Amino acid sequence: MIESIIIGGLMTSMIYALLALGFTLIYGVSGVVNLAHGTFFMIGAYMFYLVTSGVFDLDPGLGLIAATVIVGIIGALIYRILIHPVIRDELSTLVVTVCLAVATQQLVLLLDTKGLFMVPVQTIVPNYTTFWGVTLTYSSILAFGICAALYISLWIFISKAKIGKAMRAASQDLEATMLMGVNTTRVYILTMALSTALAAVAGISVSSAYLGVAYPYMWFHPLALSFAIVILGGLGSIKGTLLGGFIVGYAETVVQTLYPTSASIVTVVPMGIIVLVLILRPKGLFGKRVELEE
Amino acid sequence: MVTTYFRRAYLSFLAHVVDIPPRLLAFLLILLWALVPVFKPDGFTMMILVSTNIWAIFVASWDLLVGFTGQMSLGHALFYGIGGYSTALLFKYFRLPTWITIPLSLVVVFSVAIMLSYPALRVRGPYLAMTTMAFALIASSVLYIFPKITGADSGISKVPLLFPLKLFRREGVTPLESVYQQTLAYYYLTFISLVITLLVLYKITHSKTGIVLISVLDDELASKASGINVNKFKVMAFAISALFAGYAGCLQVHFIALADPGLFALTTSFLPVIVTILGGIGTIYGPVIGIFVYQILNEIFFRKVIKIPLEIYQAKLLIFIVVILILVIKWPRGIGKFITDKLKDLEEARDIDERGPRIWKTYKKKGKKIGAIARVRARLKKVA
Repeated sequence: MIESIIIGGLMTSMIYALLALGFTLIYGVSGVVNLAHGTFFMIGAYMFYLVTSGVFDLDPGLGLIAATVIVGIIGALIYRILIHPVIRDELSTLVVTVCLAVATQQLVLLLDTKGLFMVPVQTIVPNYTTFWGVTLTYSSILAFGICAALYISLWIFISKAKIGKAMRAASQDLEATMLMGVNTTRVYILTMALSTALAAVAGISVSSAYLGVAYPYMWFHPLALSFAIVILGGLGSIKGTLLGGFIVGYAETVVQTLYPTSASIVTVVPMGIIVLVLILRPKGLFGKRVELEE
Repeated sequence: MVTTYFRRAYLSFLAHVVDIPPRLLAFLLILLWALVPVFKPDGFTMMILVSTNIWAIFVASWDLLVGFTGQMSLGHALFYGIGGYSTALLFKYFRLPTWITIPLSLVVVFSVAIMLSYPALRVRGPYLAMTTMAFALIASSVLYIFPKITGADSGISKVPLLFPLKLFRREGVTPLESVYQQTLAYYYLTFISLVITLLVLYKITHSKTGIVLISVLDDELASKASGINVNKFKVMAFAISALFAGYAGCLQVHFIALADPGLFALTTSFLPVIVTILGGIGTIYGPVIGIFVYQILNEIFFRKVIKIPLEIYQAKLLIFIVVILILVIKWPRGIGKFITDKLKDLEEARDIDERGPRIWKTYKKKGKKIGAIARVRARLKKVA
């Protein structure tokens, strides 16, 4: 049991950390609380289903890349058309993103004419192996690998690359960044594309390696998770997000292993963590950091 | 410009036709709403109107919290649900009469709100939004953790109605008519509750307390520096708002005779946000107008007038949300802002009215750019 908690927790935690990284990126850079972050998680899973079945019928590995890119483009477009016009108004951004989330859910429900309200999602690679007495599917190992690689490469990208530096600059001082000749709108759009693509990767990983299905209501839990992780790790902190992801992921795995029958307890975990952190340490584990850090 | 001319004509129209004092307007609207049953709407519409009144109490209480103190709440369904569930549970386990369970459940809601406001006060903005959402979701999960007490998915049924049907069973009254009369009684109860709620909230927000609340919203630091105990007022707004939301929950449970997890649903929490965009924030009456528009469009228009089939019933909410998205982007502070702009127009119209209603002359004032029509007229004069 301990082994399965350690290994299973590691696998899910990495995915959650990647999911929350997208959330914290867009918040840290542009100050948008994207309540539709879970929606992109869902869109990712559905897009993966679309490109790997039916007309396109791509290879799952290729489908992963295609779906991620498509979701990134959708995210950038949605940001430019819907969120950017109201970015200076906090209430409006909340309303727009909430509306976006509910609208997408309704759209998916509407398009699902079969009345099943879920679609089967392919696994990326079949078969499984046994490691340390724990049965692991290859696709969950692959998902872990992809998430870890993406996390590290993004970390390097943000701290070293020119655009990453521009992103950090925009999060620290918007006006100064503009004066340095950075097109901040473009930086925001790029950040949103990155953020939604990360959510999509997490969504594809979870739905193909763990759930096996995608359903219209799967957006809320990831949103709650990313909020809990970000509150734990501190806003805009990449290091903190990784740690927060591991804490939340392990907490969820422990609860899931202890109470395997009760499905509703799992949804309480991120919520309970949020409330606990806010009561005990309202500034997060590492104190509040507004700007994006390395 | 021609548009300027039209604007003048429009302002003149406002000054002469639409110029009604706001209090009279409010009174007329309330009177109209009270007289709705005179028009003999059918039973289904009456049910919708009753639930509209209940929702209106709920969203008005949300506006006190969010519109006046700026504490973003996405979990207001918590108080709605706690109010409903506590009155249902008090009935189920203690068999208390309704006139005791409702005040007791209001006490429960009030104390829960005061307890929760302390952790909630430590955070603000999106964090607060998520925290309140978390509270509501935890509450709904608790229902599933203790299924024996709360009945889980099926909820607590057979909650007593406020007006039992036997009150309306008389000689010569068909069963259908007695049900209609029962709904009518509910309509007036909820209507009076709504009017009282609006009056109380209006009095609170237009008193010194209201000014303090707005000052907290505008600049918390400055209010603190002026010697205002900001936290006290925030807790107060939280508790009063929760009280009315809980009352709405009680009414709902006693209306449909059922307390189910749907009371805590996410859509219940999001509803005030959506209708506030329709009506305008920080006005108390704004969300109420919003909920009326929403319910009339949503339930009566879509179901009865256009008769959307059940298969594309999902499309209804989608259309509605898309409309709201467009509205938010077009008018970021809600249509309420748009209406206040129109009210400013009214003031301007009154101003013009003092100068005389003959708009044609005021248009051709000195120093104004000559518009298209005027240019044509000048040319005609030259020709003549």
